[in-house]
Amino acid sequence: MRANWTLVLLPPMLFSFLLLGGTQFLFIRAGFYEDLGIGLMGNELVVSNYVTAFTDSFYLDALILNIKVSSIVVICGLLCAYPVAYVIARMRSQQWAMILLAAIVVSSFVTIVIKVLGLIIIFGSDGALNQTLLALGLIDEPLQIVGNIYGVVVGLMHYVLGFMVLMLFSVIQTIPRSLEEAALIHGASSYRMFMRVVFPLSLPGVVTGALIVFNLCMGAFVSAAMLGGGKVLTLPVVIERTVVLDLEYAMGGTLSAILLVSVILINILSVWLLNRFRKARLVIT
Amino acid sequence: MRRGKFIRKGLVAAIVGSIYVFLLAPIIVVAGASFDGGKSVAGRAFLQFPPSNLTFYWYEQIQPRLWDALGVSVAVAMVAAIVGTLIGVPAALGIVRGNLPGKTLIATLLRAPLQIPFIVIGIAFLQTYYFFADFLGFGLQGTFAGLALGHVFVATPYVVGSVGATLQRFDVRLEEAALSLGADRWTTFRRITLPIIMPGIYAGGLFAFMVSFGDVPISLFLASAKYTTLPLEIFHGMEFDFDAAVLAISTVVLFGSLVVLYFIQRLVGLDVLLRTGGNG
Repeated sequence: MRANWTLVLLPPMLFSFLLLGGTQFLFIRAGFYEDLGIGLMGNELVVSNYVTAFTDSFYLDALILNIKVSSIVVICGLLCAYPVAYVIARMRSQQWAMILLAAIVVSSFVTIVIKVLGLIIIFGSDGALNQTLLALGLIDEPLQIVGNIYGVVVGLMHYVLGFMVLMLFSVIQTIPRSLEEAALIHGASSYRMFMRVVFPLSLPGVVTGALIVFNLCMGAFVSAAMLGGGKVLTLPVVIERTVVLDLEYAMGGTLSAILLVSVILINILSVWLLNRFRKARLVIT
Repeated sequence: MRRGKFIRKGLVAAIVGSIYVFLLAPIIVVAGASFDGGKSVAGRAFLQFPPSNLTFYWYEQIQPRLWDALGVSVAVAMVAAIVGTLIGVPAALGIVRGNLPGKTLIATLLRAPLQIPFIVIGIAFLQTYYFFADFLGFGLQGTFAGLALGHVFVATPYVVGSVGATLQRFDVRLEEAALSLGADRWTTFRRITLPIIMPGIYAGGLFAFMVSFGDVPISLFLASAKYTTLPLEIFHGMEFDFDAAVLAISTVVLFGSLVVLYFIQRLVGLDVLLRTGGNG
């Protein structure tokens, strides 16, 4: 019986591992070839691309910008998604909760390019938002949102918000409402009840959600490229230009490897921090 | 006290409401503007929203190129969903039911494609195709198979995740009952196991379809002039000259997505979709 399931698992496992291992190995290896430009690579394995990537401030800045933008989006995303998820999870009317969840699913379901298209129409310099604000006399000049870092943050927020709400909703839903009532009955203010009961209990979900969203943002290409207007050079945008415009395949491999490793490292670091944090809490309380 | 509560409730409602506006407005704006009869201005100028006069003009202006790209997108996404299901279902069964050493590691590695930025996946597959092209004289770059293989890679983990989640809630006694009543193993699988995990398969396959359908960064490197996907066409259209017919075909896709969602909701219910979203 057991051997049976192993046989079932083996073919798909081998296929998946071959694809994963093969492609990842080959592209990381390609990053170690000397890049001769216009699609040509040297024959020997060298580290010159990595030296360039870590000494040229252009590449380094792209990585730092990438981390900065992703962190901003994670924080803003949590601040926006938490209240929505909480309200839906604690809603009295099941029907309304279902409608609100369905709206989130619909918005997450739509292809990102189409949503970005809509965001450009709304947030563009002659877009709906600017026209409204100008007509109301709130601003004198159109706000420049598309084509700089604000645009990218707006785009990424749109990309991850729905996902974050669903993630937080599924966690908050598992926290029994009776715990909140107990805290309130014993005289805690709503703020204190939230900070001492609901938020700590939802923390694992918050951290997991934040990590996944951070990953998504680090690799996000469409929002960064379209709403950055080619001026916000995060690492994925730089990678695309290196390969598609400059035809530097080896350098593209190097930069991709750096992106991949930084994502993995940051994830490991966060998990480690979280574990430490948990232990520290145990000692205090 | 009561008034404070009232104000706080209003404040929360306002915050939640504006987040919903933010989430849904771009979709409504694209659909609305596509029916606008206003003149198309070259460059980055856009049609109006709300539309000044309703026409289907831009729908007639959709070029064959865009329809072709839509066809390729649907075909690639279907291959990704079907092949992803064929790989993902046995993988999930093996992981949850089997007792292989290092099960957690295998599960983690099967989900690994989700941790890799899509743009890195695109580059990695392109480099791989070039590598084999050097050896064999031909590669998969620019072919339909090459494009689809990259999509299968990212689609499979969604099926593994959703079918795995369904299997974990599965009551094994149902299978034991069937077996003890004389059904052979294949009949048990076909009549008991499969119907129970079917919602998970639908949801996983659907997610795989949508992830593949919406992808830009992988197709960016694996597509060619002959096989290009619709999101890629829209993306390039935005970078260079803007064609208002793009809004029209986007609206077609929007309606298509809504119809698919509606059927899924009828078929398995939205909660399955929500759970998959949480797992993915």
